[in-house]
Amino acid sequence: MKIKKEKEDLPLPQILNLDDDFSLIKRFIEGDESTFNTLVQRHKEKVRNIIYLTLGNNDQVDDIAQEVFLTVYKNLGGFRFESQFTTWLYRITVNKCKDYLRKIKIRNIFTPIKDNENDLGYNPNSEDTDIKEIVHKAISKLPDKLRIPLMLKDIEGLSYQEISESIQCEIGTVKSRIFRAREGLRNLLKPYERELML
Amino acid sequence: MKRLYNKKYEQLSAYIDNELSEEDIKKLEEELKFSKQLQEKLAELKKIKQLTYSSVKPIPENPFFETRLASNLRVKSPWYQKYKKYSPVYGIIALSIILMIVLKYNPLLIDKVVEQQKSNITAFYKQNLKPLLFAADLTNEDIFNFAFYNRLPLNNDRKQYLQLGSDKNGNQFFEIKTAGLTPNSSNLENFIKGLNLNVKQQKQLDSILTSHVSDLQSQVLVNDKNTVAINPNIWNYNKALAADLISFATNVDRYNLQKVIPPNYEKLYNAQKVAQIINDIKSTKTNKYIFLTPDSIFSDQYSFNQQEFNKEMQRWSKEMQKNMQEFGKQFSNFNIQFGQGFAKLKKDSSWDKNFEVYIDSNICRVHIPKVEIPQINLPEMNELNINLDSLTNYLRSFSFRFPSHPGKNYKYFYSDSSKGFNFRAYGFDSTYTFGNPKMDSILKKRFKNFGFKMNPDSLASIFKFFMNDSTNYDRQQNIQRQMKEFQKQMEMFQKEMEQMQKELKKNVPSKPTKKSVEI
Repeated sequence: MKIKKEKEDLPLPQILNLDDDFSLIKRFIEGDESTFNTLVQRHKEKVRNIIYLTLGNNDQVDDIAQEVFLTVYKNLGGFRFESQFTTWLYRITVNKCKDYLRKIKIRNIFTPIKDNENDLGYNPNSEDTDIKEIVHKAISKLPDKLRIPLMLKDIEGLSYQEISESIQCEIGTVKSRIFRAREGLRNLLKPYERELML
Repeated sequence: MKRLYNKKYEQLSAYIDNELSEEDIKKLEEELKFSKQLQEKLAELKKIKQLTYSSVKPIPENPFFETRLASNLRVKSPWYQKYKKYSPVYGIIALSIILMIVLKYNPLLIDKVVEQQKSNITAFYKQNLKPLLFAADLTNEDIFNFAFYNRLPLNNDRKQYLQLGSDKNGNQFFEIKTAGLTPNSSNLENFIKGLNLNVKQQKQLDSILTSHVSDLQSQVLVNDKNTVAINPNIWNYNKALAADLISFATNVDRYNLQKVIPPNYEKLYNAQKVAQIINDIKSTKTNKYIFLTPDSIFSDQYSFNQQEFNKEMQRWSKEMQKNMQEFGKQFSNFNIQFGQGFAKLKKDSSWDKNFEVYIDSNICRVHIPKVEIPQINLPEMNELNINLDSLTNYLRSFSFRFPSHPGKNYKYFYSDSSKGFNFRAYGFDSTYTFGNPKMDSILKKRFKNFGFKMNPDSLASIFKFFMNDSTNYDRQQNIQRQMKEFQKQMEMFQKEMEQMQKELKKNVPSKPTKKSVEI
């Protein structure tokens, strides 16, 4: 009993204390705002990447990332430590992206459709084949609800559990959407089977 | 099966993502060993995953990200910023309050706006209304048909007709219908033949018909906006026209006409009486038209200035022949489309609830129970029309009904009702009964009216019946000669039927479908 009490009294190893998101958030809540900077440094690239993958281009990545961290800053005081910080952060990021995509869709209603909208911008007979570009464009053609989980899984390497918490749906749905995204991608890339060796 | 495979493939997708439980992995790997299809799918999914991963280029780092964030954090958002997201809600609330205030002090505002809109639409559809004559290029034959068959062609190619009629309750209706049946174009000719008119009398008849054309002009108006405006007085004109023609026929050939017109009617149709009727109709002008448009159906005042129109036409014809042609072109394309607009009429029966609208793909029937038709003392034509059939060589279609009976199916073909009909009747013969009487007696009774007998046994699967073509009918010939011809035809027909019966017996369906049909 005594040993156990002594163990509880021991301070946590310094290295763990510094690196742990929860500790940083606790210190932020206690008034040490400098810890927020550490959180930003630690997660900004991941957030920027998710935004980039979700939107399919990097035009608005930094603007949306700024909005994400501003929201985090404003709401960090109310963080309830019920889930991982990253889960919460990714959820805010995905929601911000969805908001942005929604705005774009409304704007597009009033914009004339481009002629080459359904074209992947690739001529199979052309010699300078940029496979990455073709696949990238094909991914951007997928609907948001399929593309976002696919990107979070294949690029960011999040688990199904993390994805389900980020996009707020069931694990089974995530599993199904990722499979459907892959099937959709395969169909979109069908004309380029030979070049992609599918 | 496909669904099952999709589930398997979904498992494979989760397998390459390392998201399956130990148990599921073992199970799947076992299946993979024996299924080439699954192996191929696995390879394909792996390739897609790899392509996805390699397709994304890393985005360049932004060294000023933290600096920008820090400055954003320092900037205090204005107080209204947090309320900004609710701006649409505030807008709606403000708009509702304004609307409530406005309506409180102007309770009739909405009615006024609706009325204004109505009058705008009404004015829109009233534009450029021109007499039907210019759209349909009516001939004397058309006027004749209108008198006895109550129908007027709406366009040049005779594909659409305006048909007047009345239902069982005596309520008037008009129909705009596509000419599914081949219109008979020799009724006037037959009428002339029937009365044995000489050239002078024919000219007289033509002049009677032509004299009514100009009056009929203003009764049906059309325009390039798919609008048909009908003056209710057209029902009177219809009767007057018939009366005029019968009066003429009485004068020409009283003896023959007496055979088809009851004596009391003959008294009605003396020239003086008819002249009085026509004068009454012409003096009873109503400016209330029924407008049938693609959006609505309504009745409203409209004054068509015949004189001005005639002047305009004269001016046009003087100016340039070309203009006239263009004018003609504009209306020659007139065609009522029973599209979505008309379909809407059925549900939302327009502003004027007096109208009952029945619409299908090729008929638009409008019942007008409450629209006043100018009351003129006209003879009842319905009974007369039955007798007129004889005069116009049985051109009017006839019909009879087979009682519906569950379990039996009658398929019928109805081509040209003015010439004949034929139908197939599956699954009944002489032993088949409708209610109490047997088929034999029904058929014998029915066909007795047509002057010939049918052997029901020969009807085992099909029978066909042709009426004598009206063009062959000659009033001056003995009716018995016709009957002989008819009998000959029937004999031929019977022979044909016997032959067909043999062939068709093979094709009689063993289980007739449950459907009955009215003929």
